[in-house]
Amino acid sequence: MTKLRSSTLVFSVLFAGAIASAGAQSPSPPPPRQQVKIGFVEIENDARYEPLRAYERIILKSREHPLTGAEVGVDEAAAFARVLPIDFALDRITAKSPADVAPAVLAALEAGTHFFLLDAPADAFKPLAAAIRGRDTLIFNVSEPDDSLRRDLCAPEFVHVYPSRAQLMDGLVQFAVSRKWRDLLVLEGPSPADAAMTTAFAHSAQKFGARIVAHQHFKPGTDPREREQNDPTLLSAINRDFDIAFVADDAFDFARTVPYQLARPRPVMGSIDLEPVAWHWTWERYGAPQVNSRFEKKSGGRHMTGPDWAARLAVKMVVQSALRTRSAGFAKQRAFILGDGSFDGDKGLALSVRRWDHQVRQGILLAAPYEVVAEPPIEGFLHQTNELDTLGDDEPESPCHLDK
Amino acid sequence: MRRLVFALLSVLAFAPAAAKDTGLIFVSNEKTNNIIVIDPKTYKVVKDIKVSHRPRDMHFDADHGTLYIACGDDDVIDILDVATLKIIGKLKTGPSPEAFAMDEKRRRLYVSDEEGSSLAVIDMDRDAIVKEVPTGAEPEGVLVSEDGKTVYVTSEAGDMVHAVDADTGAVTRDVVAGLRPRRLAATPDGKELWATAELSGEVVIIDRARFVVIGNIPFLPPGMRKADVTPVGLTMTKDGKTAYVTLGHAARVAVVDVPARKVLAYILVGKRAWGLTLSRDEKTLYVANGQGDDITIIDTASRKAKISVPVGRVPYGIVVDD
Repeated sequence: MTKLRSSTLVFSVLFAGAIASAGAQSPSPPPPRQQVKIGFVEIENDARYEPLRAYERIILKSREHPLTGAEVGVDEAAAFARVLPIDFALDRITAKSPADVAPAVLAALEAGTHFFLLDAPADAFKPLAAAIRGRDTLIFNVSEPDDSLRRDLCAPEFVHVYPSRAQLMDGLVQFAVSRKWRDLLVLEGPSPADAAMTTAFAHSAQKFGARIVAHQHFKPGTDPREREQNDPTLLSAINRDFDIAFVADDAFDFARTVPYQLARPRPVMGSIDLEPVAWHWTWERYGAPQVNSRFEKKSGGRHMTGPDWAARLAVKMVVQSALRTRSAGFAKQRAFILGDGSFDGDKGLALSVRRWDHQVRQGILLAAPYEVVAEPPIEGFLHQTNELDTLGDDEPESPCHLDK
Repeated sequence: MRRLVFALLSVLAFAPAAAKDTGLIFVSNEKTNNIIVIDPKTYKVVKDIKVSHRPRDMHFDADHGTLYIACGDDDVIDILDVATLKIIGKLKTGPSPEAFAMDEKRRRLYVSDEEGSSLAVIDMDRDAIVKEVPTGAEPEGVLVSEDGKTVYVTSEAGDMVHAVDADTGAVTRDVVAGLRPRRLAATPDGKELWATAELSGEVVIIDRARFVVIGNIPFLPPGMRKADVTPVGLTMTKDGKTAYVTLGHAARVAVVDVPARKVLAYILVGKRAWGLTLSRDEKTLYVANGQGDDITIIDTASRKAKISVPVGRVPYGIVVDD
C-alpha cells in the first residue's frame, strides 16, 4: 500500500585496511565491521519545501529537504572508521503523505533500522508516535518547530533536534530586551503557523518582560477597501510608539513589504530582517565556516539551513553515541543520547537532550541577511544549571515529563 | 623561476644568518593578508609585508634566516627572508593550509589542510607534495616528534589526535581527545602530549607511549561562561614546568603548572586570543588577539600584560626572531 522510494547511500570504507596497521603491537585480527543504518524519512510534496515566489516566476527562497545535511554527517563519520569498527549508512525513505510515514517507519524498523531522521510536518508525528510506542527506536525531528509536539504529544521515542518555536522566539525576545527594545508591535498573518509563531512570541515577551503595545492582524492583498489590513504603514500608524515590529508571516508574502514601510522608522523582526534560526550560512564561530564549506561543496553551492544543521547533528549524535560507548547496540546508544551525551553543534555551548521533553537544548542564531547579529542565550540571562535552558520550555514550565 | 628561488634559498641556508636576534615580532593577519613586524623595544610597527591571502601559522627555520607562512586562501606557504623582510618564494600546499610543522633534517613540512581533511607532507626543496595522509575532518595542530619519526596531528571536527608514521605516511594510532582538539605541545621528557580542546574548554593529556588520554585540565576563569572558554594556543617553557594556554573568546591566557596539572593564574588579554609565543629567555609572552585586532605583550614574572599593540585585522599567529 505504502509506496516507497528507497535508495541506500553507503559511504565507502576508506580506511578499513588501516585497522590492521593501527594494531602494530596487537597481532589479533581486526574485529568484523558492523553497520548502523539511519533512515531519512521525508514526504513527497511537503508544502514546507515549496519555493517561495514573488508575484509569479521569481523565486525568493528555494527550499530543499535537508538530506544533504544528513549526508555531510555520514561523510564526517568516515574519519572514525579507524577507531570505530562501525559503518553508518543513510536509507532515504520518501512517503507519499504524512499518513504514510508510520507504516514506512514500521517497515524499516522491522528490517533492523533503529534510528530515523524525520523531516515531516507536525501532522505526521501523532500517528507515528502511536505506531512506534515502546519500540526500540529513536526518531530525530529535524525540521518541525511545533511546540505541541514537545508539550502535548510528548512521546519518548522522539528527539527534537530542530529548535522549538518557544526556543526560537525566546532567543529573539532576549535580544530585543537586552537592547532595551521592550515595546513591541505584532503583525500577525492568517495562517495557523503565523498564529503559532505569534503565540510563542507573546509568551516570550511575557517571560522576559517586554510589552506588546499593539497586536494587528494583516491580510495579504492589494484591495484598497482592505487597506487598513494590508498596508504596513496604516497597520503601524498607532498612537503608541514601539521599538520594533514583529511580523509572523509563514507565506513570506506580506513580510517582505514591511521593512521601510512602517509609519515610524523601526527595525523589523520575525519572518524577515532579523530571523531566529537554528543555523545560518554566514555563521563564523566555533568551526562553522568549515561546516558551511563542506555542506556547500556537497550540495553544489546551496547555503546550509536550520533543517540541514539539525539533520547533520542528528547523524552526529548517532555516530558519537557509537564512538563514545564503543557500541552499535541500540540500548547503549539510546542511553548515551538521552543521558550524559553532549554534542558539538558548532554553536558554542555543548548541546544535550532535555530529559523532560527530549528537546535538544541549543543556542539560537539571530540572522540578518548577511550577518549573525547575536547568538542567544544572550549574556546576562541566567539559569541555575544551564544557560541554554533560558530558551524554550524549562523543566518547571513544561507539561511533558518523560523522565518521571 | 621557482627553481631559482630554491637555489637562492639553499644558499641562504648555508650563509651566516644575518637576521639573528633582532627580537622583531611577526604577526600574521588573516583578513588584511599581511605580516606586521613590530620593534620589540619601541613597540612600533617597522614593516607591513603584503603576503598571500589569509596568512595563519608561521615558523622560522632553525637559524631564523627564513620564515614560512601558511596562507589559507591561496593554498601556499609563503617564504619570507628575515634579513630583508621580503617574500622570496612560495610552496604549494593542499586546500586551505592552516597549521604546520617543520622537519629541517628531512627537509619536510607537515601541513594540515583544513578543507582537504589531510596532512600534506611537502618536500621543501622540490616544492612537491610527496604524500597526503587522510585525517579526520578539519585537521589543525601539527607536531613532529623529537626523532622526526612520528607526526602528531589533531582533527578538530573528528575529535581526535592522530599519530602518523613519518616514513610510511600511514596513520598508526588515533585517540579521541575532548571536543574539538586544536593545538599540541609535548612535555620535554617526551612522555606526554598536551592538546587543547576548544569546545570542551580543557587541555587533554595524552600518554605518548600508550596513546591514551591520561588526564585533563579544565579552564574556567572566574565569572566566565563555559561557552566562552575556548582554548586554542598552547606553549610550554623549556624546563617543562609551565604551560601557557590561550582561551579564545574568554580573552585570557591560562598559566598552568605542568607537573601538578593545575591552573596557576589567568591573565587578561584580548578577544579570541589564539596564537602565542614565548621569548627565548621566557620572560615575555606574546599573544595575538583575533577579535581585538591587536597583540598583548605579557611579563611572565609578574603575569601582567605590559602593553597591547594594534596590528591588522584578525591576527592569527605570532612569532619572535630571537
